[in-house]
Amino acid sequence: MGNKQTIFTDEQLDAYQDCTFFTRKEILRLHGRYHELAPHLVPMDYTNDPDVKIPLALIVNMPELKENPFRNRIVESFSEDGLGNLSFNDFVDMFSVLSEMAPRELKAIYAFKIYDFNVDNYICKEDLEQTLNRLTKEELTPEEVVLVCEKAIEEADLDGDSKLSFADFENMISRAPDFLSTFHIRI
Amino acid sequence: MMELREFNNQVHPTPDYPSPYGSQHSLRLRTVPPQETSAVQFDWASPPEDAEDSNEPPNLRELPLHMGLKRAVWQVQQMKIPVVSSSWNIKQSQTFRRFCEVAKHVLSYFVLWKRGIQKIGGHFGGGVQSYFLFLRFLVILNFLSSLLIAGFVLIPSIVFRSMNFNSTIPTTVNLTGVEICLQYDPKPDTLMVFITYFLDLISGTGFMEYSYLFYGYYTNFNSMVESNGFSYNIPLAYLLTAAFYFLFCFICMIIRMGGTARVAVVTGGGATGGYSALVFTGWDHGLQEDRTTKLKQSNFRYRLQVDLEEERLKKKSASLTLSQTVSLYALRVFLNMVVLILIGATFYGIAKATQFSQLMKTTGFKGLVLQYLPSMVITASNFVVPLLCDKIALLEKYSASTTVILALLRAVFLRLVSLGVLLYTLWEQITCEGDISKQNCIPCNYYYDEYKCWETRVGQEMYKLTLFDFLITIATLILVEFPRRIVVDHCSCKLTQWVGRQEFLVAPNVLALVYSQTVVWTGALFCPLLPFINTIKFILFYFCKKITLFQNCQPATRNFRSTTSNFFFLLVLLFGWMLATMVLLYSVTKIHPSYGCGPFRFSPTMWEVVPQAAEMLNSTSAEFLFYMGSQKFSIPLFIFSCVLLCYVSALTSVHGKSVALLKSQCKLEQRDKQFLVRQIEELNATVQKEQREPQQPQRETDTATRWNQHDNYAFDRDEDPRPY
Repeated sequence: MGNKQTIFTDEQLDAYQDCTFFTRKEILRLHGRYHELAPHLVPMDYTNDPDVKIPLALIVNMPELKENPFRNRIVESFSEDGLGNLSFNDFVDMFSVLSEMAPRELKAIYAFKIYDFNVDNYICKEDLEQTLNRLTKEELTPEEVVLVCEKAIEEADLDGDSKLSFADFENMISRAPDFLSTFHIRI
Repeated sequence: MMELREFNNQVHPTPDYPSPYGSQHSLRLRTVPPQETSAVQFDWASPPEDAEDSNEPPNLRELPLHMGLKRAVWQVQQMKIPVVSSSWNIKQSQTFRRFCEVAKHVLSYFVLWKRGIQKIGGHFGGGVQSYFLFLRFLVILNFLSSLLIAGFVLIPSIVFRSMNFNSTIPTTVNLTGVEICLQYDPKPDTLMVFITYFLDLISGTGFMEYSYLFYGYYTNFNSMVESNGFSYNIPLAYLLTAAFYFLFCFICMIIRMGGTARVAVVTGGGATGGYSALVFTGWDHGLQEDRTTKLKQSNFRYRLQVDLEEERLKKKSASLTLSQTVSLYALRVFLNMVVLILIGATFYGIAKATQFSQLMKTTGFKGLVLQYLPSMVITASNFVVPLLCDKIALLEKYSASTTVILALLRAVFLRLVSLGVLLYTLWEQITCEGDISKQNCIPCNYYYDEYKCWETRVGQEMYKLTLFDFLITIATLILVEFPRRIVVDHCSCKLTQWVGRQEFLVAPNVLALVYSQTVVWTGALFCPLLPFINTIKFILFYFCKKITLFQNCQPATRNFRSTTSNFFFLLVLLFGWMLATMVLLYSVTKIHPSYGCGPFRFSPTMWEVVPQAAEMLNSTSAEFLFYMGSQKFSIPLFIFSCVLLCYVSALTSVHGKSVALLKSQCKLEQRDKQFLVRQIEELNATVQKEQREPQQPQRETDTATRWNQHDNYAFDRDEDPRPY
């Protein structure tokens, strides 16, 4: 239905529509954006699902991500190999989770992944310190950083192991009213 | 656990034998690698506790899997479709879903200013965006209201007037003794100088007074249209349209408040959580501009430092001596008195200005200034008094969040009550302070000499307030904000750098919108075109504010809690609505309408048209309507709504308690899990130790007794105790 496009088969578009929060038009637009990032790498014809991945360095130059202090972690969390090389599937997935229609639970899962810098399934003090440094451009004094990290863990840690598991994180997110509106990238 | 997995594989075979439950189950087991599972700490391997999702496929969009896996699951789902009986249902639901998505997509084109507001959010953050969302809500509200009024009041009036009907006095009305009140001749001179034309335009007098803009032009045409078998009761339409307009605005506001309140209630108001919530949810990932991001980062640092400082202050204040505490409280009480005196002086000034301007009769430019005197006093006070209150608040030494809330409350109080003072002064003059036996109010029940058509005068005041508000905003833009930016950008002396660029403060801007909307609501009965004028005004506001935002402003250095503040602003809007409703109800039921003008000139009150119209219906409808209005109906209705309110509040408290219970259960489960993991580790250690020393059987019994002592009912003694 609609105008004839040759980038995807109808079945592929249906699959994308059911697996993400985007409509057909938006998926085609996303493909355009993906192609723009590396025109020589990305084919215009995706009907046979080519295995093309754009490296991290090109993705983080997108205007939506360029100024985000967590851009590397965001791209790494959505890549299958964990190194930040995104296929089109991962690209669409990323913006679907970060869109305004994704539910809180789903966003919390990926937010946890993003803030877990050392990928050990816990947000420990070092992860928090790194987060804080990126948020404040490293302009807090070391004592202030330590103090804020201690307070943050104290508030959110429920099981007393001085690091945040996913359950602690989700519980803390559920009490923050602005999470849905801040964890949102418009594309 | 190993046995459990093997057991599962036997019961639910490999996926080339698709079944609704088993295929996804084993698909999950087969394709989700172990490290993937633990990465999100979801126990995909265990079957779902509740069987409710075994009948419908899981919502693929909400699965935290990689897209490749999701598409594989989708393909499997598609494969199981060709079961003849259910294929039509599934196809139908699919096409319906497609239709919904297309409809949503098409409707999104009709969302006003979507891209513009998105761009604002990307550059300036959520706080400023919420102001523009609020502005858009008000534009749509005003537009729909003006359509309502145009459709039911304006167009019929135009049609009937163009058919050259004359309004006649109905025979049922006794007009002895009040002939003097019937005289009202606002027709302007046909020869007008341009300056008079312009003055009339902006003060609503002269040619503007006797026009569709104001109440006085509408007449009661209902008596003559019946000849064609078609009757349209204009007075009834006028009144009911006003009532529906208020009801419509109320419903829109409640719906919007409900949405915001739900978020605020679910998250417990967001006051708790402090540092962790700030660190993890404080960063707005939607920000795209370099300058904004840098500013946001320094804002973050500022906020954290302020929070840490507040903690230090709190600790210090907790350690204050008794005399210091007493002196601090005494200072606060004194400063609150000062603020109240200031606000009281403002109200007195407004009252005096209103009285003065109503009674003066000069024309020309001086007359214009006098006419606008109340508006000028109100605007000046709305600017000066909050500034002074901010300076006073510095001395009061409250915490930062309390100071912000207090400043907002004071500003709201000042704005709404100053409007109330203006209306009260008008009322005083029109109805001779409520006492219709006074000299001035004798024949007509209102102050006839001054106010030949008092509704139009009230409408004119509201019109002037609206216009003046608009002019001042535009003037501020042109004369203050643009020059400030030019000076700051081109002159690099210390003073200008310290003053800096304009900051877009959300709270005062939103309060200005609330004030404008309250003025429109108050004036809508007397000036039916006011919502339409307001729509245009707000549309122009949008474009002007957007221009000034991008050209002159820097992003806010102080953070803005959009979710809870949104609710607060809607609440203030609701207060404004209540003020306007009180004015409406009072003027409809208590004050005698003007004899000389308007659709209600021959009824003792405006409300009288409704019972008169109800009487003309057939007897059953009339009886029904009268019953609904009587006490026999309203008292049981009131009792019933009280019961409903009690029920709903009981439900709310039960939900709140269960939320608290679930949260503590969460904590308890975490502790249980820790305990069990420790148990397993201990047991593991002892088992390994006894594997190294197999010839000491009493150790084993020790282990067994210890095992039994801890009563670990979760594990079967014979099961493999390896951790999973």
